[in-house]
Amino acid sequence: MNRLRFARRAIAAAGALSLACGALACGGALTRSDLFSSEWAADHGQGVDAVRRRLAGTRPAPGTDVAIGVGGNGDKIVAVLLDSGQRWSFVHPLDSRPAIAGQVVVGSGGGEIFCLDARTGNKLWARPTGGLPLIGAGDDGQYTMVTLGRSAGARGSTLLAVERDGDVKRQIETDKEVGVPAVVGGLAFIPWGRQYVSVFDIVAADEPARILFRDQVSRAWTQGGNIYFGENSVYRFDERIKDAAIERASHVMLPARELPGTPLLQPPIEERPKVVATAHDRVRMYVRPSTNVQTTSATASAGAPAAGAPAAGAPEQGWLVVANSRYYATYFRIIMGFDSSRGGLSWVYTHPAEVIAGAAGEDGFLVCDEQGKVTFLSARQGDPLGERDLGEPVKSCVVQVDGLAVRGGRPLHPLSLADELAEALRVPNPELATGKRLLVREIASLDDEVATKALVDVIADPAMSPFVSADVRTALAARRTGARYMLSALERHYDYLKNVLVPPPVGPIAQSFAAMNDPSAAPLLSSHLLDPVTPEQDVQEAAVALTTLAGPAEVPALKQFFTLNYASATTAPLKSAVVSVGQILLKHGGKDGRAVVDRAIASKLTAQDVRDKLKELYEVVRVAPASAPVTPPKK
Amino acid sequence: MPRDIPERVSTRRPWILVAAVAVTVASGAMAAEPPAAPPGGASGAAPPAAKPAANAAPRKALPPGTAEKLKSGDPERITAALEDARAAGKGATALASEISGLLDRGLSGSLAESALQALGEIELQTSTPSIASYLQHRDPKVRTAAAKALSRTKGPAAIAALRHALSDSEPTVRSAAASGLGILRAREAVGDLALALDHRIVEAAAPIGQLCNVDECNDFLGRLGRLPFDLMESGLDPILFRPAAEVSEDTKANVIGRVRELKTNEAHKFLESVQKRWPAGNSPRLKTLIDQAVKATNRASGS
Repeated sequence: MNRLRFARRAIAAAGALSLACGALACGGALTRSDLFSSEWAADHGQGVDAVRRRLAGTRPAPGTDVAIGVGGNGDKIVAVLLDSGQRWSFVHPLDSRPAIAGQVVVGSGGGEIFCLDARTGNKLWARPTGGLPLIGAGDDGQYTMVTLGRSAGARGSTLLAVERDGDVKRQIETDKEVGVPAVVGGLAFIPWGRQYVSVFDIVAADEPARILFRDQVSRAWTQGGNIYFGENSVYRFDERIKDAAIERASHVMLPARELPGTPLLQPPIEERPKVVATAHDRVRMYVRPSTNVQTTSATASAGAPAAGAPAAGAPEQGWLVVANSRYYATYFRIIMGFDSSRGGLSWVYTHPAEVIAGAAGEDGFLVCDEQGKVTFLSARQGDPLGERDLGEPVKSCVVQVDGLAVRGGRPLHPLSLADELAEALRVPNPELATGKRLLVREIASLDDEVATKALVDVIADPAMSPFVSADVRTALAARRTGARYMLSALERHYDYLKNVLVPPPVGPIAQSFAAMNDPSAAPLLSSHLLDPVTPEQDVQEAAVALTTLAGPAEVPALKQFFTLNYASATTAPLKSAVVSVGQILLKHGGKDGRAVVDRAIASKLTAQDVRDKLKELYEVVRVAPASAPVTPPKK
Repeated sequence: MPRDIPERVSTRRPWILVAAVAVTVASGAMAAEPPAAPPGGASGAAPPAAKPAANAAPRKALPPGTAEKLKSGDPERITAALEDARAAGKGATALASEISGLLDRGLSGSLAESALQALGEIELQTSTPSIASYLQHRDPKVRTAAAKALSRTKGPAAIAALRHALSDSEPTVRSAAASGLGILRAREAVGDLALALDHRIVEAAAPIGQLCNVDECNDFLGRLGRLPFDLMESGLDPILFRPAAEVSEDTKANVIGRVRELKTNEAHKFLESVQKRWPAGNSPRLKTLIDQAVKATNRASGS
C-alpha cells in the first residue's frame, strides 16, 4: 500500500535533516519533511477506520477549564482556573501568545518553548527553539505536540512531540504550513496545507491515516471527549470523517449572515497568535460543538434527520449539533448570541470592557476582556452569571472550556432584545459605526413597539455617529408600532439650560404617523415646525406629513410658521415646507387662512417659485382665494 | 484659575458691564447710597454710561411720508422707513402699530431685523407680542434682534419670552436674553439666570448681582471657585454697591471674604478696583474689610 510504503520511507529518512537540529535541542528521531507529501494515495477510509479502532475506548482527557492572559510587560502569563477562581502566574519572556492544550499551557520566548501545568502553573519542561515562533500545541497527557513556525518570510514548520519529562520524542521538519495539532492516545492529528489532517503515530513515526477536507482546516482540538477539526466550520472525528472529501463528514457550518466586522471562527493560520491582541481577537465568532443522541438541530451534521425525529442512523457518538443552538460573536464591547438554525440575533450583551478572547461552553459563553476579567454569560439570554479575575489587565487572552458548567446567577435587569441593542448602540466609540449600523437594522427588523422606543432613545444620544443616526432615522420612518414612544419623543424640545441638546427626529416620526394616518402627532409636529432647532429636512417632512394629519386645531401654529417663513425661506426644504403649510391653511384655515396665503402670493418679498407653487395650491385644494366667494370643491 | 470659557466671553464683558450699569442706574435703586464711581470691574476704566447707550444718541425727527413707505409693500421703501423710525425712537411711536402689523403679516429676515430694532427704539409695550413671536424665527440674527427689542418694550410678556430664550440654541440669543432680563429687573428670573450662569452664559452674572435676595446672593457666591472668576466678576460688583436696604452688610462682607479666600491675582485686582470706587463714608466696617482683603490678596497673589 502506498500509505505504508510512504511511512516506512519517512522513518528510514529520520535523521536526514540533522542540520536543522542545530537550532533545536533534538532528543528524538528526526522525521523527514515528506511526511506531508502530496504523493499520499487515498485509501478509501481504511486508515481512518484503523485509527478509530485503535482509539476505541480511548477518549481525550478533559481539558483544564482555564483562562490565561499575557500580563505584566508582556513577560508574564497570568491564569485563573474557571472552576475555583484560583490564580497562578509564570514570569517568562514571551514572543507569541501562549496556547492551552488539554491540561497544559505551552509558551514561547527567550529562545525556548516551555510547558506548564494548566492547573498549577508549574513548569513541566522547556526546550530551546532558536527563537522559532509558537503556532499551537496539542496534548494527551503523555505527549505534547508543538507546532513552531519559521522566522519571518520563510515557509515551513517544525513539529516537536515532547514527552512529559521534556524529552523530544519526534521532531518533524517540513516545508508545509502546519496548523494546530491535537493528540489522543499517542496519535497526533496534524492539520496542514489548509485541507489535510495527517494522523501521525508519535511512537511509530508512522502516518496511518490522512483525511482530506473540501473546506479550510487548520486546527485540531479535543473537547467534550471528541476530536474536532476546522477553521471556518467544525468537523468531528467519527465514522463519517472518512467521507470528508465528499462532504459527508459530521460537521457544523454556521448559517451565513451579516455580522459586524465580519468575524471569523478562527483567524487564518498565517496570522500567528501575537502577544498583544489584535482586531481579529476583538471581532470573533465562537461555537461549541456538542452531541445530541436524540434529535438534532437544523445545523447538525450532514444526513441528520429533522428536529424531533428519532435518532435512527445517527453516528455512534450521536448527532453533531451546536450546543444550546447558540453561536456567539464579539465586536469589541458588544457580544451577541445567535440562533444557530437560522442565524437570527437572540441577544446582545454590552460588556464594560473590550473583549479580546472567549470560549463557548456547553451551557454558555465565556469572554475575557482587556481588564483581565472573565465573564460567564448564559447561552439563552446572555445574562452575566459570574466572573473570574486574572488579577490584572492583559495584553491578550486565551480561554479553554471543556467540562465547565456555566450556570447560576440571575439577570439583574432583564432587558428586551430591542433594549439590549439600544444599549449596545450607545457604546461611545465612533470606530464602531459599521457594526452599529448592523445593530440598527436588527432593531428595525423587530415589530415590537419596544424597538421603536429603542430607536427613539438611541437617536437622542448626542454622541451618536451621523451614519448611525441616518440609519436610525430611516428605521424610525418605517415604524408602524410604538406610536406612544414617538409621541413622547416629540414632546421633547431643544433646551440649552436643561441640557436637551438633540432635537427629536421630527421628520421620520412625522413620516411614520403619516403612514399610519394617525393624527395624534399633529399638535406636536406643528410645535416642532416653530422650533428653530428643527432641521430643515425635518421641517419639510413634518410639513408634508401635516398635510394629511393636521386639522383646524393646528391652524394657529401653522399660520405663525407660514408668516415667519414665507418671505425668508431661501432653501428648497423650507420653501417646500411653506408650500405644504400653505396647503393646510387653505384646507383648514378658513377665510383667515386663505387671506394669509393670498398675502404671501401678493407679496414682493415672497420668492417667485414659492408664489407660483402657492398659486397652484388653489388648483390642488380647490378653494377660492379669500377675496373670492367660496365655492364647493368639484367632485 | 481655569481658563476654559470661550474667547467670546471676555470680548463681551464691557458690554455686560454697560448693561449692568444701565440697569442699576435706570432702576433708581441706588439713590439712597450711590457709589462714588460707577462699578467698572477690576480690569479697567469705569464705563461712562449713566443712561442706556442706545438712548444717549440724539433722536432724529421722523421724516414725512414714513407711514406711507411702511405701507408701500416695496422692500426698499420699507427698509428706509424702518431706518427712519429706528432713528426717531420714541418719536416714531405713532408708527409702532404699523410696524407690528408688518411683523404680524410676515417679513424677510433683514426687514424683520430692522422692524424689531425700530420697535425696540420706540419702546412701546404693546409691541411685545409681535416681537416675541420672532424668537421662533429660524434666523438667529432675527431672534437676537427680537430678544434685544424685548428688553426695551418691557412687560411681563417680554420677561416670559426672554426667560424662554435663555434656552435658545444660539449663544447670541441667550446672551441678549440674559442681559434683557437684567435690564427689565426680572426678579422672578434670578433662578433661570443662575442656571444660565452655570451654562457659561456670562451675561447672566450681572443681573443676578443686581437682583438677588440674600439666599440667591449666597447661592451665587457658592459658585466662586467653581466657576471662572471672570464669569462671576460682573455679578459680584453690583452686590457690593447695592444699597443696604437691598443687600445687607453681612452679605457684602461675605462677598469680600469669599473673594479674599481665592487669593488670586484676579481677586486682588477686583478688590483693588472696589477699594478705589468705594464711596467715602460708606460702611467703615466694609471699607476695613476691603482694605484688609486687598492687602491679603496682594501678598498671596504675589502682585
